[in-house]
Amino acid sequence: MSRDEIPPGTLYLLILKTLALGGELHGFEIASAIQRGSEDVLRVEEGSLYPALQRMLIKGWVVAEWGTTAGNRRARYYKLTADGRKQLEVEMSQFERVMGAIRRVIQMA
Amino acid sequence: MAWTGELARRLRMFFQRKRFQEELEEEIRLHVYLRQQERVDANVPVAFAHSAALRRFGNPTRIKEESYMSWGWHWLESFLEDVRYGTRSLWRSKGLTAVAILSLGFGIGANTAIFSFLDAVMLRSLPVKDPAQLVLLGKGEVQGITDSLNPTELYSYPFYREMQKQNEVFSGVATMLSMMNDVHGTVDGRGETELMHVQLVSGTYFPMLGVPAYLGRTLTDEDDHSEGNHPVAVVSYKWWQQRLAQDSAVLGKKVKLGDTTFEIVGVTAPEFFGTKVGEAPDVWVPLSMMTSVPPLVQGYKDYSASSLYLMGRLKPGVTMEQATGNVNLLYQRIQLGFEGSKLNRKQRVELEKTYVPLSSIATGLSSLRGQFSEPLRILMVLVVLVLLIACANVANLLLARSTARAREFAVRQALGARRLRLVRQLLTESLLLAFGGGALGIALAWGANRLLLRMISASATETVPLDVSLNPRMLLFTFGVTVFTAIFFGTLPALRATGLELTDALKDGRGTSSTTSTGIISKILIVMQVAFSLVLLVGSGLFLRSLIHLADVDPGFNKEDVLRLQTDVSSAGYKVDDPRLTALYQQVEERVSGLHGVVAASYSSFTFHEGSWNGSITVPGMPEVKDQNVRHNVIGNGYFKTMQIPLVAGRTFGPQDTATSQKVAVISESTARTRFPAGSPVGRHYHIGGMGSPWDMEVIGVVKDVKYGSLDEKPVQIDYVSYAQREHLLNDFEVRYTGDFGVVSTAVQQAIHSVDRTLPITRVTTLDEQVSRSITQQKTVAQLSTCFGLLAVFLSSVGIYGLMSYAVSLRTNEIGIRMALGAARSNVRWLVMREIVLLVTFGVALGVPVTLAGGRLIANLLFGLKGADATSILTAVGMLLVVAVVAGFLPARRASSIDLMRALRYE
Repeated sequence: MSRDEIPPGTLYLLILKTLALGGELHGFEIASAIQRGSEDVLRVEEGSLYPALQRMLIKGWVVAEWGTTAGNRRARYYKLTADGRKQLEVEMSQFERVMGAIRRVIQMA
Repeated sequence: MAWTGELARRLRMFFQRKRFQEELEEEIRLHVYLRQQERVDANVPVAFAHSAALRRFGNPTRIKEESYMSWGWHWLESFLEDVRYGTRSLWRSKGLTAVAILSLGFGIGANTAIFSFLDAVMLRSLPVKDPAQLVLLGKGEVQGITDSLNPTELYSYPFYREMQKQNEVFSGVATMLSMMNDVHGTVDGRGETELMHVQLVSGTYFPMLGVPAYLGRTLTDEDDHSEGNHPVAVVSYKWWQQRLAQDSAVLGKKVKLGDTTFEIVGVTAPEFFGTKVGEAPDVWVPLSMMTSVPPLVQGYKDYSASSLYLMGRLKPGVTMEQATGNVNLLYQRIQLGFEGSKLNRKQRVELEKTYVPLSSIATGLSSLRGQFSEPLRILMVLVVLVLLIACANVANLLLARSTARAREFAVRQALGARRLRLVRQLLTESLLLAFGGGALGIALAWGANRLLLRMISASATETVPLDVSLNPRMLLFTFGVTVFTAIFFGTLPALRATGLELTDALKDGRGTSSTTSTGIISKILIVMQVAFSLVLLVGSGLFLRSLIHLADVDPGFNKEDVLRLQTDVSSAGYKVDDPRLTALYQQVEERVSGLHGVVAASYSSFTFHEGSWNGSITVPGMPEVKDQNVRHNVIGNGYFKTMQIPLVAGRTFGPQDTATSQKVAVISESTARTRFPAGSPVGRHYHIGGMGSPWDMEVIGVVKDVKYGSLDEKPVQIDYVSYAQREHLLNDFEVRYTGDFGVVSTAVQQAIHSVDRTLPITRVTTLDEQVSRSITQQKTVAQLSTCFGLLAVFLSSVGIYGLMSYAVSLRTNEIGIRMALGAARSNVRWLVMREIVLLVTFGVALGVPVTLAGGRLIANLLFGLKGADATSILTAVGMLLVVAVVAGFLPARRASSIDLMRALRYE
């Protein structure tokens, strides 16, 4: 089964959306959720999730807290902040603008 | 604030970066583990599952790196790394580091010290509201009191009131007495009198400046409405702190000045020190009380007594030109209103020609400024030269060091370090050195400032109240200088060190190409050092010789073995026209003259360098001499004997000259020559003032000329009158003595107090000391420039020594070959010395024109010299040569005593 790399610049959007739906998740869960949600079409290079999360922490879009997993291992859980929700809307509208534009271009023919 | 939150988070990440790293690693471990478990659960073998999980995850190192970069601290991290590495590598070469930091410390310290003074004396704005709006009528260069008809520097109180009423350009006008009154007053009923600096100001002074009170109130125009009935005083914060121990019940306390008791109504804001830089009054009193404050200056209602500085605050939008126009228009109108009817035609023309310039006093008034602004500017140039020499030194050291480290850099570059990264590393080391030097410099400057303050202070007991303490502006300056030096001395070596031919450097650590060009740069630096040193040496030589010329000037009196002191008669309650004064003076003189070890003693109004009392004199039958005032001195009978001023003709004052006998005068030779060109003046008459004046003087004697204001003045006309015939508040008392100063001084003071117990005695010193205080400025400049000159030579010699040692070590092989081929040891020595002589010659050739140009710039400050002359240049060149040869001798000897076999095997 071939999987597609996610379009550049949409990683934040995917993470934000995933967290908005899932509440508190740790890194592995986020990666899995994205994969599941896209019905295994989209695949994040899983490692790249973490620098993105770090950047989002600095921006204040998410906060992180340590907790324990079902398997009783320590994991860092991420949660959206109010700023994060706002950012999600910004990213959504931006995405739709771009996608709409692309669609218009490719439907011209 | 989104960005402040972000910054806070970034900072937290920085300070807890270790924890964040660990947490990230843990997250990654968990992720890989969970993915692996997923596979294991799907019955994949563990080892296989692990590598599959890792593959899916990506490169953990890169990911960690990327997260780390996202924190935005990698630059700081690598800077700190550079600092750590740099500190280690500097620590390893302790000698070099010490020399570099010392060089820079002296350079930066000298700059900081001189800058502090430059700032305090010339640059800093007054701590008042909008100081840029403040202007002064005149230039503020004169102080005292004058009765001249059209004064443009000093003004009368009635003039101030007229200007205040009529002007259209100032939002406020204020005035202050041009002199500060040194009064011995009593505070709060304490028994002892203490010295207080009292400044008389108009009631508008504080409101116009916008200076608030710290406690109570400042003075207002109400306090200055009518003469004599407003005994109120405002004291300075500092005085309140020091003399009243910050007593919160200060308001209402009493200060007795002369025989008037003043009530303290306020304490000024802490930062306010007055409007004159270098003079900090303790007490401000309204001008309405001027005749009550010793020394009892008159003139509240007298338009012909001008003794005030007049200042105004420009209305917003008013330019200096508009203000000048308005002020000059009013000046004519006001003066005409005062004098109009009495003026003759000639005087009217004089008045019309009078022009009042305005000057900005944003930085305050200052008599220090006139004396020190030019020297300070020149000293600033000198210390910049010293700093450049120090920089050249450090650059040279670093060049030598970077050549020695060539292999290290080659290795690092071969391992993939980018050149920029290495340059940054080296510049960081330079910065470290510079900051070490900067820190040392601030410490040195701190000490030097205290010393300098004492040097420029006129009296040994009281230092000039100048704020030269560490302040943000000074630290900023030092910081700037430090960074500048680091860049200046660091860039060249850094670029050189990293621009290597890798293969060459790796082969033997010393590529031939790099050493020769390093050599050239070093030599250029040495030539520059020599040139600058020459400038500094000649400069200091000139200042020193000028000082010696000055000190050799014969003042006309014998300054040895004279004790002088001041008795503050007005503070003790005596008035100008007090009939007891003459008796007091005579008694003190008699009592003191009778003491063991006293040759002669006398009161006088002046001795030397104490300001002046000028006036015109008129000789009947002689044409009026314009602009040539005579300096008056009121003296006792023993004055000429005490000062040992030789009598040329006639006689001096004696007991026969009394208040009721014919008024008599002794004149100086210059006065005699100018005013009585034909025949002996003895027996002839003149008038002090115009022809109508009541002071018709008969000349009874002529004495030799003496210096009156300063040692470098041209001969001035002086006349002496006796205090028996002209009542006057005399403060100066001189005693010619033999034997021990301390013993005589105690005896003299006891004798004075036996006449009047309440008479405050101050400024006990010797005449010699007083004369030498008059050339404080010249002495300070000479001493400082000598210091800087020697420092420059020392730094340069260290530079020459360093370069030559290094050159010799590089040429060991060559020298070995030369000697193997038969060169004598003396030849080898000459080889090294020749280079030094050549470098010095180049430096001198470069320095001489600069010196000649510079000499013209300082000509104003020199006495008996016109600028750089052959003597000073030759001396400096000779000195430089000697120092250079000595500095180069050790390396040269080392070169000539090289062991032949070792040298040949050296590479």
